This record gives sequence, C-alpha cells and structure tokens, in this order.
Amino acid sequence: MKRLVYFIVSTLLLVSCGKKTQTIELNSPDDLAGHSVATIAGCAYEKDLSSRTDINCQLYNSSSDLLQALLSGQTEIAMYDEVVYNAIIRKENGIKIAMLGDQSYPTAFLFRKDDSELVRTFNAVQRRMIEDGTMQKLIDFWLTDKFAEAESYTHIPSEASGKPLRVATVLPTAPISFLVDGEWYGIEIDLLRELAKELHRPLEVKLYDNASGFMAVQSGQADVMCGVVFVTPERQEKFLFSEPYHSYHTAYFVLDHDVQAQSHGIIAWIKKGIHKTLIVENRWRLIVDGLLKTLKISILAILLGSILGVGLYSMMKSRRKWVRSCAAVYRSFIAGIPELVLLLIMFYVVFSNTGVSPDIVAIITFALFFASGVSNIYKASLDAIPCGQTEAGLALGFTKSQSFFNIVLPQAFRIGLPLYKGQCISLLKGTSIVGYIAIQDITRAGDIIRSRTFDAIVPLLFVTILYFLLVWLIGALIKLASPKKNVL
Amino acid sequence: MITVSHLSKIFHNPDGSNVQVLKDVNCEISPGEVISIIGPSGTGKSTLLRALNLLDPPTGGSILFNGENILEKNYPVHKMRQKMGMVFQNFNLFDHMTVLENVIFAPCKIHKENIEKAREEGLALLRKVGMAEKADVYPSNLSGGQKQRVAIARCLAMKPEVILFDEPTSALDPTMVGEVLSVIRQLAKEGMTMLIVTHEMKFARDVSTRIFYMQDGIIYEDGTPQQIFEAPVRSATKAFVQRIRKEVFQIEGKDFDYLDMESRIRQFCIKYNIADRCDMALQATNLMLKDIMAAYIPITVRITFSELSGETFMDFMVEGLETSPLQANNPSMEKLRVFCSEIIEEPTSRGFRIKLRIG
Repeated sequence: MKRLVYFIVSTLLLVSCGKKTQTIELNSPDDLAGHSVATIAGCAYEKDLSSRTDINCQLYNSSSDLLQALLSGQTEIAMYDEVVYNAIIRKENGIKIAMLGDQSYPTAFLFRKDDSELVRTFNAVQRRMIEDGTMQKLIDFWLTDKFAEAESYTHIPSEASGKPLRVATVLPTAPISFLVDGEWYGIEIDLLRELAKELHRPLEVKLYDNASGFMAVQSGQADVMCGVVFVTPERQEKFLFSEPYHSYHTAYFVLDHDVQAQSHGIIAWIKKGIHKTLIVENRWRLIVDGLLKTLKISILAILLGSILGVGLYSMMKSRRKWVRSCAAVYRSFIAGIPELVLLLIMFYVVFSNTGVSPDIVAIITFALFFASGVSNIYKASLDAIPCGQTEAGLALGFTKSQSFFNIVLPQAFRIGLPLYKGQCISLLKGTSIVGYIAIQDITRAGDIIRSRTFDAIVPLLFVTILYFLLVWLIGALIKLASPKKNVL
Repeated sequence: MITVSHLSKIFHNPDGSNVQVLKDVNCEISPGEVISIIGPSGTGKSTLLRALNLLDPPTGGSILFNGENILEKNYPVHKMRQKMGMVFQNFNLFDHMTVLENVIFAPCKIHKENIEKAREEGLALLRKVGMAEKADVYPSNLSGGQKQRVAIARCLAMKPEVILFDEPTSALDPTMVGEVLSVIRQLAKEGMTMLIVTHEMKFARDVSTRIFYMQDGIIYEDGTPQQIFEAPVRSATKAFVQRIRKEVFQIEGKDFDYLDMESRIRQFCIKYNIADRCDMALQATNLMLKDIMAAYIPITVRITFSELSGETFMDFMVEGLETSPLQANNPSMEKLRVFCSEIIEEPTSRGFRIKLRIG
C-alpha cells in the first residue's frame, strides 16, 4: 500500500508542468515561420509542413495526442481538420482557430485496390442518399451545432449476421466517428451503416493509427478505412476511393491565452477529470474491458510462452547439433527484432487475410518473445543445480523423473522464480503496444477516452495506476504459485 | 550378495577418444563384509562403485545382486538402489531441506512412510551420527564433517542392505576426518555390509574385513588387511601400501651421462628428505657402475624410498644373467660395504638383481 502512495505522488509530480503566456496571431502561411507546428503523421497535408525549412514541424500519431501537445505547450500551433477541432472548441475553452488553411480537401472512403465491387455498391448507396436527401440531413446534423447540442445519439441496430463489414477508423473523434458507451457514431459511421445495411452484413469498427489504417486495408485486415481520408493522387495509385461525400478545410489552431479556463483548484480539477474519464458515457466500461483484454493477452501469452519455452529449452539441450543450432537461430532472431515490429509483421503479413483474431495474433507474438526469455531462465536455473543432487536422488532410490521433480525442480524454482516474475512483468507492460493492431487494451482504452475528453492527464494517470496494480497482481499470483518452504 | 564378473567400463570422451577405466573386474561380496578399495588415483575405484549401483552403467560384464542380474533390460534399477545406499565424496545433501528433512525425505516419498514415524526414526538416526542437535538446521550452516554424517544418516534412513562409500573423507579438512570415520567404524561393528573407496590406509586396515587393491582397471590383489598391508604378494601392491617412491635410470653403454644421473639422484633425495643418504647412494652407484659391474652394462639402475618404512634401496638389474656378478675377492666390495648396510643378490624372472640397502 505504501508503495502505491509513493507511486501516485511521484506520477503526479511528473505530470505537472509549466505553461506559456502569449497568444499567437496568424494572418498568412508566412507567419508560421519560426514557430513549431504540429500535425498528424501520414495525413494529406503533412507534406506542406515538412517541406518548409523555416518552421519546426512535429508529427503526432493521433488527433488527441496532437491536441494534448498543443494544450501542454509541446507545440505552438496545431494544423488539423477544421471540423474536428471545431467540435472541441465548443467544449474546451482555451484553443482557437488562428487561421484557416488555404484549400479544402475532398474526403471519401478508402478501399483495397481489387475491391471495386464494394466501391461500386457504396457509390450507389451514397448516390441514392444524396438524391433522397438523407445525405443533406446527415450533414445538417453532424457538421453543424445540432450535433453538439444533442444529448444522445441513436442508430438503427443491425440484425444482419455473417461476415462483418470491417471498418478501420483512424479518427476516433466527433463528429466523424466516435465511441459512446460501446457504440460507434458519427457522420462517416452513419454512411457506412447504410452500406452494411445494403450488403446485409453487420458493421465492425476498429480503431487504428493513421499509418496502420492503410496497412490494415492493404493486408485485408479491414475492408474500408474512414476518418476524414482525403483523396490524393498518391493514395489513388495504391487504393480505390469512393466518390467524395464532402470537402473539409484544414485550420491552424493555437492556444487562446485570453480565455484560458479558470482554475478551480486541484481537487475540483481532479474531480472533473475523473468524472469525464470514468462516469460520462460509461467510459469506465472501456477501461474495464481494456483491463480484461490486457490481462487475457498477458496471461495466455505467459502460459503459451512458458510451454514453448520448455520446448525451446529441450532443443537447446538436445544432443543433435542441428537442433541446438535451430534454437540458437530462433533466439538470436527474437533478440534482434523489436516486439512492435514483429507484432506488425505477424498481423499484416503472416496472418493477413486469414481471419485470425488480433487477440490471438498478439498472444502468439508475445508468447514467441516470452519463450525465448524463459528458455534462458530455465537454462540458468536448472544448470545451477549440480548433477550431484540428481545422483543423490537416484542413489536413494528415486527414479529419474522423481528426482527431477522432487529434488532438482524445487531448487531450480527458487533460483528461477524472481527472474520469471521479471519476465512476466516486462511482457505485461510490453502488451501496451497491441493497440497498433486495433486491440483495445488499457492503453488504447485510455487513448480513446483521451480522444473524447481531450484531457490527457487523468486517463494517463488511470492507465498508469492500472498497470501498476496489474504488475502487483502478477507478482502476487506468482508468489502464490511458488513452492512452500515445507518440502514434505 | 553381490557377484561381479568381467565388469568393464569404457568412457567415451567428447573428442571421440575412448578410455577404458575398468577392464575386467571380478569379485564376490558376502553379507557383513567391510571391503576397503585402495589403489592409486585413476585406477577405477570410484568408477567400480558407481558401476555397481548403475550411476555409471558398465559397458560389459555382469552384476548379480541377491541373485538377480541388475543389468537386464527393464530391471527396476531404482528398487535395487533403495537397498544399495551410497555416500558421496561431496555429500550432495539437498540444500533446500533441513537436516531432518534430508534424512526423512526419501522414506516419506518412496516408502510413503507416515511423517511422524519417519521423523522419530530420522531423529534416532541423527542421534546415532551425533547430529540430532542440528535437526532443523540447513546444510549450508554445517561443516564438511557434519554434512557427511548427515549424508550417512540419510543413506541409513532407507534401510539399505549394503552401503557404498565413495571417498567419504576426501573432501574434508583433516580435522574432520575422524568424526566421519568413527561413524563408519560404528556401522562396521554393527555388521553393515560396506564397500569403501578410501585413501585412509590406517582406517582401511583397522576397519575392513577385506581389501581390494585396484590398479589398471582390475582388482590387482584381494585379501585380508594383514595380507595386503603386511605381506602383499605383488610388487605393485607392496609399492603402494609401503608408499614406495622410485626413480629409474637406463645405463645403455659405457658413455652414459653420469652427471645427469647424479643430479637426478640428488633431486630425488632432496624431494624425499633423505639428503643424508645422498652421498652414500652416489658413492655406491659410482663403485657399482665404474668398477664392480662395469663389465655387465647395460644395467637398469633404480633408487627407491618407502615413505612407510623409511628404507632406501638402490637396485642394479642385469637382464639375461643367471648368476651373481659380485665377486667376494674384488677389493671394491669392501668399500661398497661402507655405504650400504646390506647387499642382497637375487635372481628375477628376467635376469639378476643386486639390491643395496643404503644407510
């Protein structure tokens, strides 16, 4: 308990930071010179910024990270879709549009190159919606103040079953596509719902990073990508686009120091943060689901990896040289590849188009890493037991397996368990990258909440505390499994 | 109880070479016998013990234990080992268990003995080896002698019919050897059948009913302690029990390197602390080679020293000679008697030997 208190205090100290004071004025793109400007990696207008040498260009992975960078002073100016941050400005006093971008981008949905059938169907659906006026209704609702004033959102639940239409969204933000109480809403989601209805298939939405969204479509892990995808010639070479449904402007956002939110004291601020993070829209459910997901992936990967580790260990101890070499090659391969890279390879290359769920891909990937780690631990702890111990057991009349399980293993356990625990904990923490393959673990749950509340501190704090508790839990479980002092 | 015939053991080294440690071991061990196995290092004493309970399975021959061939396929080796205990040089106590747990672990796990009963019996055994006081201590807190006594109690707990001791005192401080030997002595008194590989000659002589002298992978000589220690039949046995050190010189012709031989004899004398006899040995050698036996070269010369009796001899061996080369009327014979207290003339299987007792 004492440890927990220290931990929270030190984390709080870590997240408190300073602020700037001057509101930036922008009148033309030339005024950007000398400032730091940030946007999203891989977006259509990234080039406009990164080609300029007179500004300090920063690239972030998601819209919420970008906003947080602006709010915390990591960047002075954020360049982003006007419509998205407009929704935020209504909620969050403290940022303002300094200048609109000089052009608007036609926006559409992105499909795989060979999926022209689906594109044709979608275009037909969209054309019909434009003709009968539903499209205008959608735009009137989502892209105006009506959406902001709405208390709740509705959609007609789908009764279709079978292979779902898999949507990769890269923008978990109102009013495009956003998660409320376990359901996805937004203008692009509504459009895709119409398509799914036409196809008599259920809709399945998953959140990807901007760059991973393209990979997901290309590798067949998703059928369509949405989230304000601008149509650019470059993208058209590799993907198919539907007919654009709207054109969005970009805008430059800056901190508005004149109307910075008044501070009501730290207690009130924390209370508000917790309310926003957990209570509103039942967001605690996201956290609980994420927690269970992280636990599930970690525990199954630990179990599978421990078993694979036994196999790997026996390969390392094999009499045949080529078997030993195989084990050595495997271990050096695993040692030389970052977990995230292997995870992406497994998901987008090895298991692409196989329909294997991302959870299983993650479990297998982490088990592969874990096996390599624990095989070392097995080796270190079993080799530390002198062969005289086995011989003493044999000489007393134990069989070979009895002496291994009764005499060698309990002693090896004592040596290996602390190492094993460390390995488990590093695996648990390592699973925080599974968000890259659209698994909603705790980290990703925190991301989703951040992209709704545009408040980084409380969700991150929560996620940190939950990881801390999980680490403690794993430690406790292992302690429970450790051999008793009394051997008889 | 144990009948060993034509037992052999070949070790295969990782580099592909083979070493034959046991060549042809034959013996018969009856209940109640206490057999000490002695011999130089590397002659297969420990290997024989480890082959008997199949920790190092032999590569040839047969072992009958209570009439059963334990080398047969599918023979329940672990059952045999329950009756054939073993005490190791390095104790091999289970470090994660207390002393008492070490003793009662095997009976509880293998014979499924009641823990309370096993505890009582275990304490009784610990009392017997003087370790009851330390019943709840972990082995890491014991001295070597104490560890070995616990190991003996652990072995006794399985109620074996025979115990193999593999150099039980070799890893001990000299001060702790006594406590372990007295435990073994006590077991011998109680009639336990034991095979003991040891370098403690006095102990082997006192406690054993029989001695195996091993050399070159066979039981070179087998007999009662009196026979082996007092009147060994074979010269290698004698050299071993009397702890005879030697240095051999081949005198091929008249022009041999006498100075080199002289310096080697000096080194030998210094090494075994008999420098007082050095000059006498050199004078005698000089007389023998340059005068008395000059006509009989080539000669094999040997200087020996027994660490047990303290006697020093110089041997002069001429091959193919049937009568003594010494002539009583040779004036040098008088001089020779100044340097040696005894002159032995003996024919051997290959020739004739003159043996001089130096000093």
